[in-house]
Amino acid sequence: MRKSSLLALVGAFAVAAALVIGPAASAKPTKVMAGTVVIIHDQEPPTLRGAWEDNNLLATSLVTNNIWYGCEIYNSNAQFVPRLCTSKPKIVKRSPLTIRFTYKASAVWSDGSPVTAKDFRATWKVFINPHNNVVSRTGWEDIRSVKGTGKTVTVVWKKPFADWESYVASGPYQAKAIAGKDMNQTFENSIPVSSGPWKFQSWQKGVQITLVKNTRFHVYRPMKFTRVVFRYILDTNARFQALKAGEGQAIQSQPQLQIADFLKDRKFVVIRKPDIAFEHVDLQFGPQGHPALKKAFVRRALTTGINRQQIADALYRTIAPGLPSLNSLIYKPFEAQYQNFWGRAYPFNQARVINILKANGCTGGPARASASNNDIFSCPGVGKLSFRFFTTTGNQLRALAFEIMQRQLKSVGINLEARFQTGGVLFGTTLPSSDWDLIMFTYGQTPTSKITSKDLYACGGDQNYGLYCNRNATALLNKVPLTLSAAQRTNLLHQAESKYIVKDVPSIPLYSRPAFTIRSASLHGPLVNPTTEGMPWNISDWTS
Amino acid sequence: MLTYIVRRLLYSIVVLVAASFLVFTFVAVSGDPLAALRVTPNVSQDTIQKIVERKHLDDPIAVRYWHWVQDAVTNKFGTTLLGDRRILPDLWRVMKNTLQLVIAAEFIALTIGVGVGVYSALRQYSFFDYSGTTFSFLGLAIPVFWFALMLQVLDVKVFQWTGHRVFPIANLSSVDPGGGIHFAIDRIHHLILPVFVLMIVNMAAYSRFMRASMLEVLNSDFVRTGRAKGLPERKVVMKHAFRNALITIVTLSALNLGGLISGAIITETVFSLDGMGLYFVNSLLSNDPYPVMAWLMITATAIIFFNLVADVLYGVLDPRIRYD
Repeated sequence: MRKSSLLALVGAFAVAAALVIGPAASAKPTKVMAGTVVIIHDQEPPTLRGAWEDNNLLATSLVTNNIWYGCEIYNSNAQFVPRLCTSKPKIVKRSPLTIRFTYKASAVWSDGSPVTAKDFRATWKVFINPHNNVVSRTGWEDIRSVKGTGKTVTVVWKKPFADWESYVASGPYQAKAIAGKDMNQTFENSIPVSSGPWKFQSWQKGVQITLVKNTRFHVYRPMKFTRVVFRYILDTNARFQALKAGEGQAIQSQPQLQIADFLKDRKFVVIRKPDIAFEHVDLQFGPQGHPALKKAFVRRALTTGINRQQIADALYRTIAPGLPSLNSLIYKPFEAQYQNFWGRAYPFNQARVINILKANGCTGGPARASASNNDIFSCPGVGKLSFRFFTTTGNQLRALAFEIMQRQLKSVGINLEARFQTGGVLFGTTLPSSDWDLIMFTYGQTPTSKITSKDLYACGGDQNYGLYCNRNATALLNKVPLTLSAAQRTNLLHQAESKYIVKDVPSIPLYSRPAFTIRSASLHGPLVNPTTEGMPWNISDWTS
Repeated sequence: MLTYIVRRLLYSIVVLVAASFLVFTFVAVSGDPLAALRVTPNVSQDTIQKIVERKHLDDPIAVRYWHWVQDAVTNKFGTTLLGDRRILPDLWRVMKNTLQLVIAAEFIALTIGVGVGVYSALRQYSFFDYSGTTFSFLGLAIPVFWFALMLQVLDVKVFQWTGHRVFPIANLSSVDPGGGIHFAIDRIHHLILPVFVLMIVNMAAYSRFMRASMLEVLNSDFVRTGRAKGLPERKVVMKHAFRNALITIVTLSALNLGGLISGAIITETVFSLDGMGLYFVNSLLSNDPYPVMAWLMITATAIIFFNLVADVLYGVLDPRIRYD
């Protein structure tokens, strides 16, 4: 080899080596620390500025909820439990709605300064400042004033506001950490203080976020681990393989077929529970929808002709056997207020579907249900019962759910035409255009989303893309956000759903998606938390 | 030569502008960056409408493209559509990671591929030649994602049987990578599987091209003349045949390298490597045209540059080619 070729080779090696070593030039060698728990997650936060318009993500809240610790946090049953506060916040006056809560004396920031009313007030100001690109001002902008200088905070609302607890429970920013800052550029890559069990240490972009124990956290049991690392592995297969290979100890997972492997593996424990997010099929009432969908008997026939329990069984037999179908659009199976409205109103009955359609003058369909049926009903004035069914592409579970529904309905003379689209097109263009007949997707909700059910099911609701409108249901749903009594709210929601929504069928609930936590058998403590608190909500209780 | 390069660079500007407009149009019409917000509880239509107005999302495509051009030129590729995060720091980070992967894979693939190709040509129809041919076809035929997945599964099985993790499954570094040389070793350890996957495919191609090219040259008149003149076989092969046979490989590898700068999308995705390919996929999925555009400008520039390098090298290696 000539000298010049050798030099070229050495040069190539040098470039490669420089690229590898370059980023590490300032790093100091460290040893793997004991007392570290590694959580593998499927998405990396874009920034640490949660609840912003580009960053309303679970991935972010998993990291930041234990930094901006709440007056209360959601436990694994989606119930508020006090943490920074001495007790649950109290209503001291109903008109104007006045809430009072007190931070514990032990509630201090990681820099030693106390958590006070000033911090909560500064947080409120952030969310109502029109310059800040927060994802939603709803609720915050309904607050008239935040008073208090010490540990006790008094919040006065402009009007009765049922969802007040979500706002006063939220973790405040530290006032001095955000003073004078442009919040659209703050907490981009780090958070300097913490009021929770862990504090931010470092972020190796594209790889991991490292959090360390906050030694000044005394409002609850401190973390037993010295360090928590979120490792970001975006590919589903790689994520599960990495867990098997011991590169992490826990995963909070969406339903994936790979979970089946872990159910059989003694080295791992799989915990599952119905989530708040629920799968459903919306029906279109607007002018761009199929005219048949404006007929209540057609909507009822559709619902009766879908075996919802069979869908839940078929989809989750392997990874979550026994998952119940969902029988309420408002409450979830793990909630005490949950009632079986839809199961009672529409038990799966194919003979009944045919009878309903025939009784309303529809013709051309089968005489009885048959798996090989190709005859489709036509109904007077609305034509053939053939509907455009939209959902997202690339989701095996949705494709299977569609296939089952399509077969079940075809056997009773109703046709579904598949229109699968990417999430961006489906949610960005198709859904808001209301140019669809049926559309299947998941609503990711919060425990208090039911208070704003009007957004989904009231006339002109912000997210009522199906254009459903029932004045009676709307009147009840509109009262809910103004009703301070939880029992009265439940009563209103039950009335709206059982008397009107179930009968009108604006949407068909399918199932609450199961949420999963997989942990290595040597790690104890992680539970499924169906809220945005996620798996680390009880990090203080984790041991290995 | 200089005139040729300047002319090519001028053409390239036109190509970049046209490509950027087309890609912007395709990304902008293929999805809605606000899709997720539309089904987020408590996000009002009013909020969404304000974002649409602030970000010019309901303007014609040409106007939106012009906004992007202004932002890209005056603000170093600008910021993301939502959140106003600067794009360039992220792109630099992922490009460094991709370069580590690509340079290592290309270097090894070229070294082994060229060696195997030359030896196969010199020992045509030998056992080595047949074996090389078989493995090359195998390397070309195996789908990258499947091969990568199988390596991961095998790695996990070895871990389960022995309790020792031979290679990391994913990511670019360990939880505690350390610094300096420790960091470098840790990074190399993490890159072994992805480099191997990427290298196998490229090596297979290079060895086939090199073999064919070498055989063609070895059977040409000037090589026969060299041998008839009594030149030592080593000199005939290495100085005359090899240099001429390299022309194809140089062109191919230059073009390949240009393409690989855009990221080995499948390899980076399967191994969750924070590189250009994964960056592109994530940007595309979020329907944000601005990071996609920044990615495109860098990769298109790289491809154009390496095309030019290939053409120039072609002339250097083959004195018969002139650009005047």
